[in-house]
Amino acid sequence: MRIRKIYLAAALLACPALLMMCTKPAPFSDEDYDPRLSGGAATVFDATSKAFGNVIPGLSNYDQHIHDLGDNSVDQTFVTAPATINSGLGPIFNNVSCRSCHHNDGKGSPTTGTVTSSMLMRLSIPGTDAHGGPLAVPGFGLQLQDLAVFGKTAEASVKITYTEQVYTYPDGTVTTLRKPTYSFVNPYTTLPVNLMVSPRMAPPFFGLGLLVMIPESTLLSYADENDANGDGISGRPNYVYDASKDKMMLGRFGMKANTATILTQAAAAYQQDMGITSRIFPKESSFEQPQTDNLGDDPELPDSLLNAVEFYLLSLAVPARRNTTDGDIMAGEKLFAQVGCSSCHIPTMQTGVDVRYPYLSNQRIHAYTDLLLHDMGDGLADGRPDFKASGNEWKTPALWGVGLFEKTNGTPFYLHDGRARTLEEAILWHDGEAAKAKVKFSQLSAGERGQMIAFLKSL
Amino acid sequence: MKKLVLLFTAGAITLLSCSKDSDNGTGNSDFAALEDSVTINFVNKTAIPGYEDLLAKATTFNNVVTALNSSTTEANLTAAKTAWKDMRKTWEQCEGYLFGPVEDDNYDPNMDTWPVDYVQMDSLLNSSNALEIADIEGLATLSLRGYHPIEYILWGTDGKRAAADLTAREKKYITSLTIDLKNTCTNLRNSWISAGGNYSAKVLAAGKGAQPFPTKQSLFTAMAAALADICEEVGESKMKDPYDAKDPNIVESPFSGNSTTDFKNNIVGAYNVYMGTFLGSNGKSLHALVAAKNLSLDNTIQQQFQAAISSFDAITMPYEKAIIDNAQRIVVAKTMSNLVTLKGTIEGDLENFILTNIKD
Repeated sequence: MRIRKIYLAAALLACPALLMMCTKPAPFSDEDYDPRLSGGAATVFDATSKAFGNVIPGLSNYDQHIHDLGDNSVDQTFVTAPATINSGLGPIFNNVSCRSCHHNDGKGSPTTGTVTSSMLMRLSIPGTDAHGGPLAVPGFGLQLQDLAVFGKTAEASVKITYTEQVYTYPDGTVTTLRKPTYSFVNPYTTLPVNLMVSPRMAPPFFGLGLLVMIPESTLLSYADENDANGDGISGRPNYVYDASKDKMMLGRFGMKANTATILTQAAAAYQQDMGITSRIFPKESSFEQPQTDNLGDDPELPDSLLNAVEFYLLSLAVPARRNTTDGDIMAGEKLFAQVGCSSCHIPTMQTGVDVRYPYLSNQRIHAYTDLLLHDMGDGLADGRPDFKASGNEWKTPALWGVGLFEKTNGTPFYLHDGRARTLEEAILWHDGEAAKAKVKFSQLSAGERGQMIAFLKSL
Repeated sequence: MKKLVLLFTAGAITLLSCSKDSDNGTGNSDFAALEDSVTINFVNKTAIPGYEDLLAKATTFNNVVTALNSSTTEANLTAAKTAWKDMRKTWEQCEGYLFGPVEDDNYDPNMDTWPVDYVQMDSLLNSSNALEIADIEGLATLSLRGYHPIEYILWGTDGKRAAADLTAREKKYITSLTIDLKNTCTNLRNSWISAGGNYSAKVLAAGKGAQPFPTKQSLFTAMAAALADICEEVGESKMKDPYDAKDPNIVESPFSGNSTTDFKNNIVGAYNVYMGTFLGSNGKSLHALVAAKNLSLDNTIQQQFQAAISSFDAITMPYEKAIIDNAQRIVVAKTMSNLVTLKGTIEGDLENFILTNIKD
């Protein structure tokens, strides 16, 4: 009897264990995931002009409140100090509010010096600063401020001219690309002869929280600095100095992965683009220049607002893909991989876990980037190194949402300087490590090229 | 910017519950024809007439301010204030369909940037700048242009400015600012008409595969999203931010005491878009589309619009005072709550209705 009791007890103990084993979930296969969910659970279904400005669903009331504060802050137009509200614009600046450049939380237009302008010029001279970053230009700093409040002098204005160049496909189809050149008009003081200039378009705001959450080890697994696998694609991480953390970190943001954190990115934009100082960058962009205001009102931006803006950028959802079951789009997706685009525009990654952000954690996302640096050839090169990035290298930009630029932007522009007016032009500018993929794209039939564009427009 | 978005499951459940409602049996071909007339009416009876009216109001405003500049009487100052409010009324109502060139080409901030940059305005007025229209167009910031600098000069900070207080420089400045407004409104009107940028052709081509509205569904979704956006902007930003902060300094249009009127006109504008009744016009609109398939939803939307609009009338104090008055805060909160409800219905039920019923 005694033995039987033990059997019974053992059987009872075993049952729940068996049950648990039976219900242990197997990993999903690819087909079990909905391909529309580019941001995993942080995806929203909105294909209107406001598609980039949605909060991640399911935030707590408190988080939602902070998100709303940040949302409101990025809308605010700054005015000249001293002022009761939104004080501290300039004295020199590129634009007056975050959304003036980041139109609809997206990109904007590749112009400078107007209210609709979304482009700025990074500057430096040869050499590196104490942290290995670009060396500031005496009298100008690291960015050209091309506007000034009334009575002050802007650093210079920028003249953009485009040269049209014809591209002919192997099948005889002809298309036109435009190459920009930049010149500076009316500099307030002499610019150095060895000046290096990098034009940058404002990038979209959304999905940044997910990009932060991709484990560094995942990104490094795609790096192949010496091209050990011989596929012609190297891919290397940028390591940059982060002012908010006061240390060297993996760069994830900026056209050259030249910024590591959302907080530093936002604070730098406030300071450099609008002339708004914060605890991260408490000195005016015009510090030690004749335009500076000497008001002693720095930092101008309250910490609470800067933190809210950081959280706003962290908690903007990714718009869902459209028409993913369309035959042409599915064919285009295959071609995208076959041609080799997906070697750098990595379609799928898994985010890590951060208990503060369950909605960003452990998500299967489709950002189409490796966040690594690649030599993109002389045609796109800016010739201005930025930490480890050379003058020929650019970070692979995320492609999610790229199909909605026509909606969010009115007229869409692509690439770091907005030179490409269509996705096709953007592809044709690829060179350097991407030359092989570009050539393969050009060798596709017109119908297949159309399928690949249709795929990109579904993102 | 938008906060509430239809989720898969929530959306699907709502769809199921809605589709059981009264379908009055409109045939598919009739419904497709209805979609077309709604599109045509939106362009020809709402969007273009709205911007035409705005241009007419801007022209009047410029004429009146020009008269004030040459003859600075109290009567002319009053006329200028009235013309400012008239133009604001149309503008705020036009914000019921804030998509297309007004948004893509930044016509909105060109006219309606807030706050006013007092420091720069003082330097400008104290300078030797000629203040001609070309000088105004050359200013680096929009906070020196548009409605609000004019409002500040016409009313003053206490709202009681006398004609005799207006300086010659201020009068010259606002005269040029009204020319600037007129130019912006001309560009905005031209951006829609066939002789200009012809954005109306893009709207009328909805459903033919071309951007920005490859499907009719995408056009109607954009229209509904614009309605929801303005409800959100008024109820969850323009009213709520100063309400939460109890800070009169962040209220828009404080000099003229016109804030509540502005807010209400935004929602009236959205209701007019829904009903097709903008500026007294009438024609098939979103309301007809919804009513054809789901009368109860149409009733709900109309009731919620009317409730929201009429609730503004209970805000009897100027908004910057209402937000610091205990009794008025209750009615302000009620209006904001009405707007949140209305926005929820538009983003949920109306957008789901469009996704379910407009398949072309």
